[in-house]
Amino acid sequence: MADRAALDFGGLAVRDLVIAPGASPITQAIAPGEIVGLAGLDGHGQELFLKMLAGLEPPHGGSIELGSSDASRKITGFRKAVASGIAYLPRDRRANGIFPTQSVLDNFAVSTLSRDTRLGLISPSARKARYDFYREKLSIVAPRPDAPITTLSGGNQQKVLLARALALEPAILLLNDPTRGVDVATRHVLYDVFRGLASDGMGLVILSSEIEEILLLCQRVLVFRENEVAAEISGDALTTDSVISAMFGRAA
Amino acid sequence: MNPVARLLSLGRNFGFAVVLLVVLLAINLILSPGRFQPGSWGALVGLAAPLIGAAIASTPVILAGRGGIDISVGPLMGFVNALTIQVLFLGTGISSPPVLVPAALLVGALVGAANGFLATIVRIQPIVATLGTYLILTGVTLTILPAPIGPAPAWLKALSGPLSMLPLAAMFIVWWLVRRTPYYDQLMAVGSDDRAAYTAGVDVTRVRFIAYIMTGILGGCAGLMLTALIGSADPNIGPTYTLIAIAAVALGGVSLAGGRGGVAGAAIGAIDIFLLQSVLTTFNVSTFVLQIAYGAILVLAVMLTALQERLAMGRR
Repeated sequence: MADRAALDFGGLAVRDLVIAPGASPITQAIAPGEIVGLAGLDGHGQELFLKMLAGLEPPHGGSIELGSSDASRKITGFRKAVASGIAYLPRDRRANGIFPTQSVLDNFAVSTLSRDTRLGLISPSARKARYDFYREKLSIVAPRPDAPITTLSGGNQQKVLLARALALEPAILLLNDPTRGVDVATRHVLYDVFRGLASDGMGLVILSSEIEEILLLCQRVLVFRENEVAAEISGDALTTDSVISAMFGRAA
Repeated sequence: MNPVARLLSLGRNFGFAVVLLVVLLAINLILSPGRFQPGSWGALVGLAAPLIGAAIASTPVILAGRGGIDISVGPLMGFVNALTIQVLFLGTGISSPPVLVPAALLVGALVGAANGFLATIVRIQPIVATLGTYLILTGVTLTILPAPIGPAPAWLKALSGPLSMLPLAAMFIVWWLVRRTPYYDQLMAVGSDDRAAYTAGVDVTRVRFIAYIMTGILGGCAGLMLTALIGSADPNIGPTYTLIAIAAVALGGVSLAGGRGGVAGAAIGAIDIFLLQSVLTTFNVSTFVLQIAYGAILVLAVMLTALQERLAMGRR
């Protein structure tokens, strides 16, 4: 059984998940080290599916479980998801991601504040050291980490948000259209980072509105149509034509 | 850096409150040098302390954003004032600081928790929730203390004279510690954008609830400062601090939309208002004109801050 195996390896198991009333249930397993793509025309359920994995939307049925070596944990809400090791990078960074009045450092650290404390108080040097690690890893271009995040380019803001999610050291990383509004050079940096994370054993789920991006990154793609998985495509069958046909509900 | 740019960069942190502070201080020193002798600093600070305290107390909930405001800070000060003098000091004869101070802070914390419960858990709009508390506290204060009564314990009166820096210093130290806790970053994140804060894993409701409790505790402390200054209990003075404290906070560059500014700015805004009052009273101006001046300065300062921000945005 695929999902059983995923649990043993520490993957994410989705069982009979219903994302909209009346839609047929989805059963999937996302294994560590795998990059799974989500595609579909806008509003056909792929975003809803991703948000349910993140615990941000309640499912209409079924369950989501994150396996680990000791015990598996059911994802019942966003906080539970974060605590279990699922990180989510939101889509619209201006509305849901950045804190425009706060510095780059503060924006980076907000999800993992307690990791920098010494006797209950924050140690700025510990935070800076942690930030520097991710700045290097993601090659963030930010001359001054104490400047407001709005002084950075869109791509670098996105990298800071990715650093924030990675700082949680998640087992599963959910990316909601991560390269939207990001320049081409930065995109390729991000692609390399995603591949590196996967080869280090992280499971990645990427929703993208660009098919080329999915073809470039993913081994396996779930194509959504009318809140159901219309097709699961992998290996040699994974081509622009096959994904587009599935998106429009035509037989590939 | 040319002088204009320097002025603008100062303004970025505290609005134009700092510039105003320097100008008003200079005018005060020229007009009434005697009042600003080092020997009278204690009394001077004591005179300004309740307003500074009220402004500092109003700050945390405003920083927490989404319309967060506590207009019950003034009545809370009056309630603490009445409670410590009428009930505790005169009623039961307790006068020791280790009892009265924690009692005042506890009352503040409880009122803050009630406001926080209404505004963040029941989710009544903060201005309406705290308006309710405003009216309740004003009424309760008048019930337990229909008319002014005195005196206050001697140690408390000393806190508006030679030792007037003590409660203010305590407030600043507490805030300085809060600034270094993870909570502060969460507070600013929530104030800056609560949806983003939620997506980043911050417990938005908890952060806002704690902000109301902090406002309550600081408000309790401001109530003690008020008691120290008037050296008695008066049911009518407390509520007058609410609006002027919010004016001070806005003047000090704290955005009422949340996530921007801090306690230092609020304190500077309060000192501005105090100094303005001081200048106008040396000219024997009536209190009505004083009100007009507060309003005009407030609108002007907020406009200049907004203008400066727009210029800064335009340059980018």
